[in-house]
Amino acid sequence: MLTLFLLLPLGGAAMLAVTPNERKEEARWIALVFSSLAFAVSAVIFVRFMLELNSDAGVEGYLFIDRFAWINARDAGFDVQYFLGVDGLSAPMVLLTGLLSLVAVLISWRIELRVREYFIWLLVLETAVAGVFMSLDLIQFFLFWELELLPMYMLISIWGSGRKEYSAMKFLLFTIAGSAFMLLAFLVLGLSADSFDIEVLTANPPAETIVPLSLLFWGVMAAFLVKLPVFPVHTWLPDAHTDAPTAVSVLLAGVLLKMGGYGILRIALPVLPGEARDFRYVLAAIAAVSVVYGAVLTLRQTDLKRLVAYSSVSHMGYVLLGVATMGAVGMSGAALQMFTHGTITGLLFIMVGLVYDRTHTREIPEMSGLMHRMPVIGAVMLIAGLASLGLPALSGFVAEVTIFLGAIAEHPAATIAAVFGVVLAAGYILWAVERVFMGPPSDRWAHLDDATGWWERLAMGGMVLSIVAVGIFPRILTDAVESGIAPIAAIVGAA
Amino acid sequence: MDMEHVWLLPAIPVVIFAVIGLFGRLLPRGGDWLAILGMGAVTVLAALAIVDFQGDNIAVWSEEWMKISDGSRVVELIEISTYVDSITVVMLTAVTIVTLMVMVYSVGYMAGDSRYGWYFALLSFFAAAMLTLVVSGNLLMLYLAWEGVGLASYLLIGFWWEKQSAAEAAKKAFITTRIGDVGLLIGIILLWRGSGSFDIQEIIHHAESGGFDQTYLTITMLFLFAGAVGKSAQFPLHVWLPDAMEGPTPVSALIHAATMVVAGVYLVARMLPVFDTVLIARDVVLYTGLITAVMAASMALVTSDIKRVLAYSTVSQLGFMFVALGVGAVTAAMFHLLTHAFFKSLLFLGSGSVIHATEEQEVEQLGGLRRKMPATTITFTIGAIALAGIVPLAGFWSKDEILVAAQEGAPAIAYITLAATAVLTAVYSTRLVLLTFWGEPKNRSVHEHAHESPPVMVIPLLILTALAVVSGFVALDGVGEALGFAGGIGEVVYEGAHGHAYALNETVAIGATIASLFGIGLGFIYWWGCAARAEAARNWAPELHALLVNRYYIDHLYQATIDRVILGLSGVVGWFDRRVINETGVDGSAQGLGYFGLRLKFLQTGRIPNYALAMAVGVIAIALVAFGTN
Repeated sequence: MLTLFLLLPLGGAAMLAVTPNERKEEARWIALVFSSLAFAVSAVIFVRFMLELNSDAGVEGYLFIDRFAWINARDAGFDVQYFLGVDGLSAPMVLLTGLLSLVAVLISWRIELRVREYFIWLLVLETAVAGVFMSLDLIQFFLFWELELLPMYMLISIWGSGRKEYSAMKFLLFTIAGSAFMLLAFLVLGLSADSFDIEVLTANPPAETIVPLSLLFWGVMAAFLVKLPVFPVHTWLPDAHTDAPTAVSVLLAGVLLKMGGYGILRIALPVLPGEARDFRYVLAAIAAVSVVYGAVLTLRQTDLKRLVAYSSVSHMGYVLLGVATMGAVGMSGAALQMFTHGTITGLLFIMVGLVYDRTHTREIPEMSGLMHRMPVIGAVMLIAGLASLGLPALSGFVAEVTIFLGAIAEHPAATIAAVFGVVLAAGYILWAVERVFMGPPSDRWAHLDDATGWWERLAMGGMVLSIVAVGIFPRILTDAVESGIAPIAAIVGAA
Repeated sequence: MDMEHVWLLPAIPVVIFAVIGLFGRLLPRGGDWLAILGMGAVTVLAALAIVDFQGDNIAVWSEEWMKISDGSRVVELIEISTYVDSITVVMLTAVTIVTLMVMVYSVGYMAGDSRYGWYFALLSFFAAAMLTLVVSGNLLMLYLAWEGVGLASYLLIGFWWEKQSAAEAAKKAFITTRIGDVGLLIGIILLWRGSGSFDIQEIIHHAESGGFDQTYLTITMLFLFAGAVGKSAQFPLHVWLPDAMEGPTPVSALIHAATMVVAGVYLVARMLPVFDTVLIARDVVLYTGLITAVMAASMALVTSDIKRVLAYSTVSQLGFMFVALGVGAVTAAMFHLLTHAFFKSLLFLGSGSVIHATEEQEVEQLGGLRRKMPATTITFTIGAIALAGIVPLAGFWSKDEILVAAQEGAPAIAYITLAATAVLTAVYSTRLVLLTFWGEPKNRSVHEHAHESPPVMVIPLLILTALAVVSGFVALDGVGEALGFAGGIGEVVYEGAHGHAYALNETVAIGATIASLFGIGLGFIYWWGCAARAEAARNWAPELHALLVNRYYIDHLYQATIDRVILGLSGVVGWFDRRVINETGVDGSAQGLGYFGLRLKFLQTGRIPNYALAMAVGVIAIALVAFGTN
């Protein structure tokens, strides 16, 4: 099942590879069909997981395991497996990957430049990210982690805008710098424990290695914190977002950042629980600074896309705050925030992209009264914005309030600082909506069209639906997350 | 209706919101009839529930919303539940009646608007959120509804978003109240941390049995109160309400006079048993209300926009309610909330009638409308008398209750300030009536095309007028008995052992009446006939006048804070982020590496003697270090 999900986008990419260049329409449909199939599989995975969870037996460990020995070098202590499985933590992330990849294909419908290659890279990216969320072997995890860089670099530097080469290179270097430390730490961990199996390492965290465990912890965290990202290693994010094409921004904010949070919860915490606990105040401090720093920065942005990008820094700070609680509630909140931020900020980037497609500018001061011409885009933008500022009955609130509840006892000051980030969020979101969409109609924008393409409407509708559904019935998500977090919380709690 | 089905009350309008919101364009008349029928049904159901209500506190329904467990132990369980008691009943009465009246009135007021259907969808959404707020049995659901009414308010203030000022007012309202809302959220989280529950009754029980640390609870309740301050537009977060008058006038009547803005009062009343255990927090409620009451009334004196006068008046009257809560008199507060809902929505709808007829809301441009709009004049005047607190109209009874409570339960300063505010209230009420309806028309062209409003607007005015006259009588024993609650409102609406039958305190009643008459007299002296005396009064203390007109410079202060401090900080942080972190830290290190690479490449000379020399130096260095360590 999981392998099928990984192979589907690759199959699509392979088919695109043999499609003639000039058949753009066919290339689009191939990408759409394969990403739809992948989404369907991810939905089946999630639904079956939920059914299993609600059955009498419940879920113990991982489901849908695909596993075989890959590099057999037991004598050398280098025993690498192909090992896929999902639990309550990864099942929602897999679903998110399927959903956002499909949405990314939809909103790329009007790409005209090298269509075939574009969709090849997009599909490869989907496989790479999904692989990260499913891998249960450190080396395999690392390989998928690195695999994601290649398509991202291509997508930003070829189909991007502005200083696209600079931004693509910056993204690449930042990630590699982080993952170099991660690889070293993985090797030390795996060789000392004689296994790269995450399940094994989680059950028996190594007590001693040739380097201090705290160094290993920060080595692993280096990659994850860069990816998340948090202050002060966040500067690649606004540049990458601003210069990336819309669909790539959606995937970047929607799923790629989540690889950081996911890695922390899947690997850093359960494998190095003692160190994680020791450094929880440092993490909480970084989180609070990120939340407020990101929000304060966002206020003054005049580029609509950069504004959403900086708000991501702020929102990812909440994830780290949840993680830093080292408790079930906070960590569940972090996992929820990863999912909800994925849909909300993904939708915000879609809306910014739709506006840009029409106005050909992202400068907020140049726009005004766009609501007159595009009521649907304006309304959906407002919904996404309200979700982003944490309005109850939309999904962002569920995640944020869970994080706050989890964090209040352990980190009261950081929590209160983070809650005030919500006021700033109301400020930058509503101010932007007012300047862009409200006010008298202007002649300059009198010719614009609303979102009329079926692909645009489908993408927006799907995202809005997921935001509202989780906001009103959080249990469709929280029950899964809870089951995935409980064992991790137990390990960290015992350390 | 059974109390278990009280969830139907918000459920009906939310469904109607969805139907009109999605299919409004397909419905005849944009679906206004659907909204009104639905609200009518809600009003009937609420009336049935109120009749059935036996004075018991009943938690009626609950459902698990989400839970998070830690292995086997459930560490967080959030339930949503409904709860009905006498406070809820008062709120239900006010909310359903005023909402229905406003919806009917809006058929006339909003006729011809390009977003007519959407308007009714939003009103239904608001009704759903407001009803959820008043029936919710736990704080998280209350918060959800709290933000819901805030959203409705945002969308309705900004209903004419093509007007820059309306868009800005909507944003200002949302952000200002959100500052308070964050306080409320922190308060709720802290209460949960202390008691392990979101359930209001459990929290009250926990507080009454001394389960909280006193300091902790004081801070918590102050955070919670911040939410009430924001929503009920109390000082220092009152600045959004006058600007909120940019919305359609029926919205002002509904949301910004009768219902949403009293949510703060409702919250404090609901949590009053907890406030009773930390008296410092209760004193903060008292003095916040007191400052707000007198300050807002003074600003109402000099405001020339008819709706803004009423907005300041609302802020001031809400201050009265908080004073009552600050001395623990929940009966008085809820009673005034009820009567105020009727007479203030009447006044707002009356002003809407004037604006509808003249398209003018500056009193300097109005005047002499009594001949052209007799029904509006009479109803508005009755509303103003009720507001001024003249016996036997509704405002008299409830304001009297608050004055009695303040006299008994607070330092003398509170009673004196309230009495002075009562004078101011009478003055600005009189001024408003005289300038709008009496005297000679100040602007001929405005006066020319003025006309009485259509029946669909006048009938709600008449109904609300009747309520503004009689709703005060629910305090009386006999009236209460006839309606099914023996002893009047005082025997029904209370927390704990504070219940008491209404008894007129003659001293206070006579004093208050004299104060009101004095105020009305002052109003006549200055604004009856020529404007010379008012002019003279203005010139008597120009600084004071400037202070009031500029709203104590509070808006200026906030704007400067946002522009200079917050956006300034944002600019500084932005500079730091780009220059220091990005260009120096990130690009700088990249360039540095490049530079070193450029320099270091010259070491690769390819000439054997150079390498040999380097090798020799290295060997000697190692040897020295080795010897040194031995």
